[in-house]
Amino acid sequence: MGNKRLRNYLICGLILLGVAVFPLLFNNFVIRFGTDILMFAIMASAWNIIGGYTGYASFGNVVFFGIGAYTTAVLMEKAGLNFAFAFIAAGMGSALFAIIIGLPVLRLHGHYFAIATLGVAEAMKALVQNLEITEGNSGIYLPMLDLSVKAQYCFFFYVMLGTLIVTLVATYFLLNAKFGYSLIAIREDEDSANSIGINTTAAKTIAFALSGLFTGLAGSVYAYQQAFIKPGSVFTVESTLKMIVMAIFGGIGRLFGPLLGAVSIEVVSEILSNYFLVAHTLFFGALVILSIVFMPKGIADMLTQKKFGLIYFLQNIRKNRI
Amino acid sequence: MILQIVINGLLKGGLYALMAMGMSLIWGVMDIINIAHGSFIMLGAFTTYWLFTLLGIDPFLSLIASIGFLFVFGYIVQKYLINLIIRASAFITLVLTFGIEIFINNLAQVLWSADVRMVQIPYGAANFSIGSSVTIPIMRLIAFLLVIVISIILFFILNRTNLGRSIRATSQDLDAARLVGVDVAKTYSVTFGLGVGAAGAAGTLWSILFPITPMMGGILTLKSFVVVIIGGLGSMLGPLIGGLILGVTESLGTNWLGATYENLIGFTILVLVLIMRPKGIMGGAD
Repeated sequence: MGNKRLRNYLICGLILLGVAVFPLLFNNFVIRFGTDILMFAIMASAWNIIGGYTGYASFGNVVFFGIGAYTTAVLMEKAGLNFAFAFIAAGMGSALFAIIIGLPVLRLHGHYFAIATLGVAEAMKALVQNLEITEGNSGIYLPMLDLSVKAQYCFFFYVMLGTLIVTLVATYFLLNAKFGYSLIAIREDEDSANSIGINTTAAKTIAFALSGLFTGLAGSVYAYQQAFIKPGSVFTVESTLKMIVMAIFGGIGRLFGPLLGAVSIEVVSEILSNYFLVAHTLFFGALVILSIVFMPKGIADMLTQKKFGLIYFLQNIRKNRI
Repeated sequence: MILQIVINGLLKGGLYALMAMGMSLIWGVMDIINIAHGSFIMLGAFTTYWLFTLLGIDPFLSLIASIGFLFVFGYIVQKYLINLIIRASAFITLVLTFGIEIFINNLAQVLWSADVRMVQIPYGAANFSIGSSVTIPIMRLIAFLLVIVISIILFFILNRTNLGRSIRATSQDLDAARLVGVDVAKTYSVTFGLGVGAAGAAGTLWSILFPITPMMGGILTLKSFVVVIIGGLGSMLGPLIGGLILGVTESLGTNWLGATYENLIGFTILVLVLIMRPKGIMGGAD
């Protein structure tokens, strides 16, 4: 057992080392692509905390991304604060919002929770479109980072990487603590969890807040990187879908599932958009449909079951069809 | 003035009601949240647009074609796609319909470009006045009356036919329905077809009254959610009441706050209703 653990740590270390030297080996375009993957990996992993482990499928997680982005923009542009402060404030702000909205909304279950979170995200988007401090629909500019182009790309890559590592490490430790078992108990049967003395309200609200915190941090880095954001770009439903699809494709309720999903989905979409300029979103839709039908439990499930190809696909369909 | 605003709201609310009716049926019977609902409305709108532009068929006549085409399309989607995954967790089907939405919207955009189009019928601007202050556009009134007719037909199908009985039986208890000989898989496909057909009808009426684009569906799905949530599931009356409430509130709210607040009003109502009365205004206690 100890050996296996050591081996896992070693593998993680090696992968991390590989990712850390990544910007030194490639050009700006590839670094930017890598940064995008890291960003989606953060969002998918953060979604996994509430949607995967706790079983509350949030369809509005993009709201935290948007709040993080706009907090950063407003604090840096209007209040003249530096990025480090705005970054932390963005995370805190998103987490706080998650607690405020989570307390009433987390009382809903299943579809109703999904629709409620979707509604919260859309309402927030409409609000930001109308507020003066966010400069409404025309969007808001952020101060530029005063570094060479290459250094800028590397900066954002490492900040994003750092955020992802914090997200994964925090998830790992929380889930192996009592807290993690509370979440899984809530997912399996909330009433029973309550009856054995788990404070389910507190546990799921904290899970939602953590999900909001990390998503907000990703939004903060994104805003600074883009140097210009508008409501339509940081509050889009498509981002929520993307993080969910990544989490599902990789494997819900597993630590590295969302990361796996983010890498594979981003690589596939990048290849698609290289080959099909106009229609790549069309292919993305087809990819979502096929992966949901054939492997609703994701790559991780396929790997652990050690069944591949047609047998695995048909087994899923036999299990789920009517 | 205020009367005119309320009437405008009611007329638009009728259309919202029709949009939501199909969604409510699918949700209520199969527990599927159909995110692609707005895309089906878009397809209905474009069916009417093309029949009018290419063949010169009157939009109100193309209503039948639009319902028929979308019924078949919905039937096929349910039979060969959603039925394959129906017993996985409810949220998996939700993501599947999201994928279908992306696929349909982008296919439409590739085929027909992102242009904004209009169905311009010669008698489109006709209206009449009641008293001195209230003007009613005839198109909107006809659309409203058609919504009522379609709801009555749908009500009749669900409550007075064998098909309706199998749909309601399946909705109440899947296994029991199967036990007494209902072909559940087929009932699901037909129900989805009916819901999507209703969406097609809403699309046709929408195209007569408003401009259309391949990407129009997203916001219409969200509006249908608002209506279904306000009205609650499980009856034909729910979407009707919900639609009228949303139409009037939007109309009054945008008049008071400005047109850019339309979505904020709708989604705030959505969240508030969900928090305070999750089963809807028409639904029972939680």
